[in-house]
Amino acid sequence: MDAYLTSLLTFVAINVTLALGLNLITGFCGQVSLGHAAFFGAGAYAAALVTTAGHPFALGLLAAMATAGVLGLVVGLASLRVREDFLAITTMGAGFLFLGFVRKQEWLGGEFGIPGIRPPFGPEGMAILAVASALLVWAAGIAVRRSWMGRIFLAIARDEEAASSLGIDTARFKLAAFLLGTVSAGLAGAVYAHVVQLIVPDAFGFIQSITILAMVVVGGIGSNLGAVAGAVLLTLLPEMFRFVDTYKLLVYGGLLILVMHLSPDGLVGIARRLLGAVRR
Amino acid sequence: MFYVELLIAGLVQGAMYAMMALGLTLIYGLLRILHIAHAAFFTLGGYVGVLAANSGLPLGAAAALGVLVAATAGPLVYGTVYRPLLDKPPYVALIASIGLLIAMEDGFRLLFGPYGLSFAENPWFVTGPDLGGIFLNWVQIALGLSAVLAIAGLGLFAVGSRAGVAWRATVDDPEMAMSFGVSPERVRLLAFALASALAGLAGFLVGLLNNLIEPGMGNITSYKGLAIVVLGGLGNVPGTLWASLLLGVAESFGTIYLDKILDRDAIAFFILVAVLMWRPQGLARGR
Amino acid sequence: MSLLEIREVSRAFGGVVAVDRVSLAVEPGAFLGLIGPNGAGKTTLLRLTCGLERPDGGSIRFDGRDVTRLPPHRRAQRGLVLTHQVVRPFRDLTLTDNVLLGAAREFGRDPLRALATFAYRDRRAEAEALLARVGIADFAGRTAAEVPLGILKRMQIARALATGPRLLLLDEPLAGLNQTEARAIGDLLTRLHDEGLTLVLIEHNLAEVLRIARRLAVLDRGRLLAEGEPEAVMRDPAVRRAYLGEAA
Repeated sequence: MDAYLTSLLTFVAINVTLALGLNLITGFCGQVSLGHAAFFGAGAYAAALVTTAGHPFALGLLAAMATAGVLGLVVGLASLRVREDFLAITTMGAGFLFLGFVRKQEWLGGEFGIPGIRPPFGPEGMAILAVASALLVWAAGIAVRRSWMGRIFLAIARDEEAASSLGIDTARFKLAAFLLGTVSAGLAGAVYAHVVQLIVPDAFGFIQSITILAMVVVGGIGSNLGAVAGAVLLTLLPEMFRFVDTYKLLVYGGLLILVMHLSPDGLVGIARRLLGAVRR
Repeated sequence: MFYVELLIAGLVQGAMYAMMALGLTLIYGLLRILHIAHAAFFTLGGYVGVLAANSGLPLGAAAALGVLVAATAGPLVYGTVYRPLLDKPPYVALIASIGLLIAMEDGFRLLFGPYGLSFAENPWFVTGPDLGGIFLNWVQIALGLSAVLAIAGLGLFAVGSRAGVAWRATVDDPEMAMSFGVSPERVRLLAFALASALAGLAGFLVGLLNNLIEPGMGNITSYKGLAIVVLGGLGNVPGTLWASLLLGVAESFGTIYLDKILDRDAIAFFILVAVLMWRPQGLARGR
Repeated sequence: MSLLEIREVSRAFGGVVAVDRVSLAVEPGAFLGLIGPNGAGKTTLLRLTCGLERPDGGSIRFDGRDVTRLPPHRRAQRGLVLTHQVVRPFRDLTLTDNVLLGAAREFGRDPLRALATFAYRDRRAEAEALLARVGIADFAGRTAAEVPLGILKRMQIARALATGPRLLLLDEPLAGLNQTEARAIGDLLTRLHDEGLTLVLIEHNLAEVLRIARRLAVLDRGRLLAEGEPEAVMRDPAVRRAYLGEAA
C-alpha cells in the first residue's frame, strides 16, 4: 500500500480507538472528561519507557494499558468526590497536571520527550496493529452497549439519583467506565508512540483532549458508530482539504458550535432522523 | 524583601485571576454554564487595546476601547451561541463554549498573525513608584487597583442598585424574579457585558505587563479561572476572590520552590485536585 | 420484629430542624400513610429512610440490620425502595425499557457481571407483565416523553416493583393527578398491599390517604405528633389542632 495511505490509515485507527474509549466515559456513562489525552499520553510514555529499555513490545503494550488504567481509576475516584459540574474541570485539571509533571521530569525527557522508540513492525504492520486495536475497542464498545452495563451506564448518565434509587452502585459503574475508557486510551498511546517513534509532552495537551471530545460529539455522543464516524471525519478532513489544515482549529471550533446547535446528538442523530423521515 | 516582593507579585497576579474568575462565577451562578470561552474576551480586550494604542490613541483611551468592545461582544455571543442551548443538557453549552474558544482564538491568529503584537510604546511598563525598596511598575499597580475597584463596584452594584437587586433575585429564583417583573434575559445580558468588560480590561493590562498580545494568551488564564471558580465553591463570590488571591500567591512561591517537580501552570490544578480531595464542595461552603 | 425501625432520627438544614428525633416502626405487611402540613418534614424523613439524606443523629434499621450509614443503592439492594415525587423517567426510553432498568438491581453492584450479561431481551416479558400489573400494558412501546403524568406515575411504580422491593416508599404518588386518576392509583396501591407488599406513602390528598392507608402517622414541624389507626389518629385533639385546624 501507498506509504501515505498507510500512515493515514494508522492515524485514523488511533483516533478511532481514542474516540471510542472516551465515548465509553462521556457518551455512555455521561461523565464529561476534558482530559482524555492525559491517559493517551500516560500509555505512550509507559510503552516507550518499556521498549526503549529493551523489553519486548508486548510488555510495553501491557504497561501502557495498566498505567493508563490505574491513572484512570485515580481520576475516577477523585471525580466521585465532586459534584457533577466539577467533573469536567477536575478532568481538565488532571490533564494539565499530567503535562506539568511530565515536562519537569528528566527521566521522561522533559520538554524534549522520548526519542528513538523502535517500532516492532514495519509501517504496514503498525497499521494493522492500529486497526486491530480500534476493532478491539469497538467490539468492547458494542459489548458494553448490548449488555446490562450499557443500560446501567445510560441510567447513570440520565439521572444518577434515580439510578441509585433502583439499587445501582453508581460509583462502581462510573469507575468501570473510567477504567475501560482509559485502558483503551493507553492502548492507543502505546501504538502511537511506536508509530511516531518520538513522543513529546505537547502531543498530549488540552487541545488533543478537546479534539478527541470533538470527534465523539460531532459523530454523535453515546454511539459507537458516531465515535468512529467522528474520528474518521475529523482526521481526514484536514488531509482532504489542504485549506482546512490552515483553518483546522477554526473549523473544529465552528463544527462544535454548529453541531451543538443543529443536532446535539451529532451526525448519528442527523442520520437517524433522516432514516426516520424516509421510513415515514 | 525577596519574600515581600514574591508576595506582592502573587497578589497582583491573584487580582488578575480575580477579574477573570469573577465573571466566570457570575455567569455560572446565573446560567450554570462553565464559560470556557471567557478567555477569548480577555484576548479580544488585549488586541483591541494594542491596535488602538499603536494607532496613536493614548493608553487610557485604548484600554477603554478594549473594554467597550469586549463588553459589547460578550452579550452578542451569549445571544447567538448560548441562548439557544439553555434548555439542553449542560455538556452541550460546555462543548459549544470550547468550540467558541478555539474558533475565536484561531480567528485572532488568522487576523493578526501567530506571533502576537507588542505595544509600540509602553510607558507604564517601564516606570513606577519606588515603595521603600520594592519596585512595582504602573501596570502592576493598575492591575491591582482595577481589580479592587471592579470588585468593590460590583459589590456596591449588587447590594445598592435596583438592577443589582434584580440580579440577585434572578440568581436565587428566576421564576420568582420574573413574577416581580424582572427580566432574567436582561440580567443575563448585563452579566455577560460586565464579565466580558472585566475580562477585556484584564487582557489589556496583562498585555501591557508582558508587552505582548497573542492569540492564545487567555487560555491558561481561563482554565485557571475555572479551577478558581470550582475552588471557590461554584457561584460563590467571596470564595472566588479568596481562591484567586491564594492561587496568585501560591504560584508566585511555587515557581521558586516547586520548579523541579511541576511547571507553573500545573500548580493551579494541583491545588484544585488537592483541595477537592479534602473538601469536595470547594473552599467556601456551596450555596 | 418490625421491618423498618426509625429511632430518634434528626436532620437539620442550616438552622432549620426538618426532622426532630422521630421514631417510627413499620411492621411487615403494613400500609402506612405519613401526613402533615407543608414543611412538616415528611419528604426529608422519606429521603433519610432511603438514604438520599444522612441523619444528624439517630438510627435506621431495616429488616433487623442497621442501614443508617448505607448509601441509597445498598438500601435499594436490600429491598428498601423509593419512588420520587416528581417522576423521574428515563425520557428517551420506552416504558418497557424504563421498567427493565428496575431489574438492573440484580447487577447493580457487579459491573463485571453486568458486562457479561447480554440476556437483556428475555426480561422484556417480565417488564411487560409489570406494566400490565399496574394497568398500562397498552403504553409499553411509547417513550416516557410521550405519555401523560398519570401513566408515568404508574410506570414509576412498575419500575420500583421490578427491583423486587420489600418495602416501597412513595413520595406523593398522587400529586398532580385529578380525582379519577388519583383514585385509580389509590386502588392500585391497595391491590399491591393486598398482594403482600409493605407500603409507606406521603400524601397531601387526605381523602385518598384515609381511604387506602391502614395506619397513619402525623408529622408537624419535624416532630411525630401521633401514630396509629386512621380513625383514632384523626380524633386525636393534638392532630386536629395542629394539622386540620391549620388546613381549615
